[in-house]
Amino acid sequence: MDGDDPEAGERSRVESSAVGGAGAPGEAEPGRNDLPARPAGLHPRIRLVWVGWTAIASLLLGLAVTGLERALLGTLPWLGPAVLTVVFGAGTAHAFARYRIWRYRLREESLYLDRGVLTRVRTVVPYVRIQHVDVRRSALARMLGLSTIVVYTAGSRGADVVVPGLPRERAADLQHRLQRLATDADGTDAV
Amino acid sequence: MSPRLHPLSVPYRAAETVVRLGWPLVFVMVGSVSITGRIGLVVVLVVGGLALALLHEGARYHRFAYDLADDVLDIRSGVVSHRRREIPYTRIQNVDLSRNPVQRALGLTAVAVETAGGGETEVTLRFVRADEARRIQSTLGERRRGDAPGDGQPERELFSLTRRELGLLGLVSLDFRFVSVMIVILSLAAPSMAERLRPSVGGAVVLAAPALLVVVYLLAALLGGSRAVASYHGFKLRRSGGELRYERGLMARFSGTIPLDRVQTATVRANVLARTLGYASLVVETAGYAPGDADRATVVPIADRDRVLSLARSIEPFGSVDVERPPTRARTRYIVRYLLVGTVLVAVAYGIDRVTAFPVGWWVLLAVLPVAPVLGHLQWRHRGYALQDDHFLARNGFWVETVTVVPFDRVQTVFNAATLFQRRRNLATVTVDTAGSRSITGRQPAAVDIDRDVAADLLERVVAALHEHVASR
Repeated sequence: MDGDDPEAGERSRVESSAVGGAGAPGEAEPGRNDLPARPAGLHPRIRLVWVGWTAIASLLLGLAVTGLERALLGTLPWLGPAVLTVVFGAGTAHAFARYRIWRYRLREESLYLDRGVLTRVRTVVPYVRIQHVDVRRSALARMLGLSTIVVYTAGSRGADVVVPGLPRERAADLQHRLQRLATDADGTDAV
Repeated sequence: MSPRLHPLSVPYRAAETVVRLGWPLVFVMVGSVSITGRIGLVVVLVVGGLALALLHEGARYHRFAYDLADDVLDIRSGVVSHRRREIPYTRIQNVDLSRNPVQRALGLTAVAVETAGGGETEVTLRFVRADEARRIQSTLGERRRGDAPGDGQPERELFSLTRRELGLLGLVSLDFRFVSVMIVILSLAAPSMAERLRPSVGGAVVLAAPALLVVVYLLAALLGGSRAVASYHGFKLRRSGGELRYERGLMARFSGTIPLDRVQTATVRANVLARTLGYASLVVETAGYAPGDADRATVVPIADRDRVLSLARSIEPFGSVDVERPPTRARTRYIVRYLLVGTVLVAVAYGIDRVTAFPVGWWVLLAVLPVAPVLGHLQWRHRGYALQDDHFLARNGFWVETVTVVPFDRVQTVFNAATLFQRRRNLATVTVDTAGSRSITGRQPAAVDIDRDVAADLLERVVAALHEHVASR
């Protein structure tokens, strides 16, 4: 048990608006009624992307180590392949754990993210602070039909708010929804 | 009537251009074999270059005009391709004045106008007369805020650095940036120095390692102190309407404005030395108009701590500086950390001693290890956070203690992070992001190493406070 499920208080509000409960302001917009009532996760294919990057990195590292070893020592020919295997194994395990932990949620007044394997980070981005939302696709992600959205605020760590592993339509939808939530929220001056 | 730049700008800028372009020429000439025969050529080149530069600058001077119109700052420039910029006053972010000693002697001041993002963001007037520069600075400030000319409160002096305070600043300022260079130099020089030292000095060599630390400190104090004195000599802080204006500098004078409505955080800062003497400084972060375009300005270089606090409160009316400390198990982390650092230092010194045969006296460093628990405790004691009516307060640091005040309506994103080691002890860190946080030292206001459940709760409370304050604006 985590002891930090801050959505517990908010969940009921979101669920009631999803059911079409009356009275709360701002419910008329179609966007609000289908906010996910539970934390949403990433698309499973993102693991392939992450494992892909790990494979490239471990390959490069293995080659570098083999080259260095051959140049300097010559007595440990297995060092390069060993490094490659270890890094790839660790990277894959990390990718799977990362996928399992990643969660995001559109709360009533803010976007909530929960992620991280070694360092667990929970982030709250109030809609009123969102300046704009970008959709990005790396080469690898594009091949697998996945996108990343980047939420920018006026803060210096604006580019820290990143949601990877979203199927293209989902990413576009989330981008538009966040932008609409941002403009709906009060605050012409986001600073 | 479109004012023009100061006439002396022409010869100054021409000379500047010649010097800038001429340096490589000088090197080439010096490097070449027969210099005596070339002197005539050099003279001709320099004089010719200067004449060309004078013509060019003269033409630019003739074409350059600026005007403080009703809604915009109007700038006309360009010799070959004419250019006209009209900058609405509302997009003007900062007006900074500067003059180096030569410019001062000639009565010239450079005006740098920073504008909001998109395309070129800076307009410079090089150069105008000193009083004209001040007029431009105050007028642009008025127009930006929409005050009528001469309207609003008269300028009020808030703070003026006395000689004594300047002296103290020189004493407590430390600049350690040279250490990395020194390490490189020492590692190269160590083997040869070892040869020469070993036979002659013998036993006194035991003191080498701590002596090195003392030397490092003295150098840091010298460098830091002289830099601080040169930067902050004659520091004055004034308040005029909705902005703060400062001026400072010994050889080169600088003057800048801090728009109070762009202030994101205020930080009271004091290193160990300053704290023991009861002094502190005040630094303010402001937001730019473009994300990540933040600025930080020292509003009070050094003053009595209570005075600094009251000045800080006049900018951001926060409450007391009492904070809630992290749980004691956080202290254990710091003690372990300092012990590790100490052990690594001893190991490195020992390694140097062994590998380079340079008599480092590493065993003296072992005496440092028992100090670790004390340092760990002090680090813990100087840490804490507070949630006040309108502000979030974060206090961190022993060697350099900072107390950062963040008004809730400036909070952007809030993070609750826990590393592997923190999770083992049920600790977490809550960081508050503002539009001003991308400053040089880059440390964001954070409640560090607090209890995990408290952190989760704090995250929500800060966000809730943000929403309250933004809604009520």
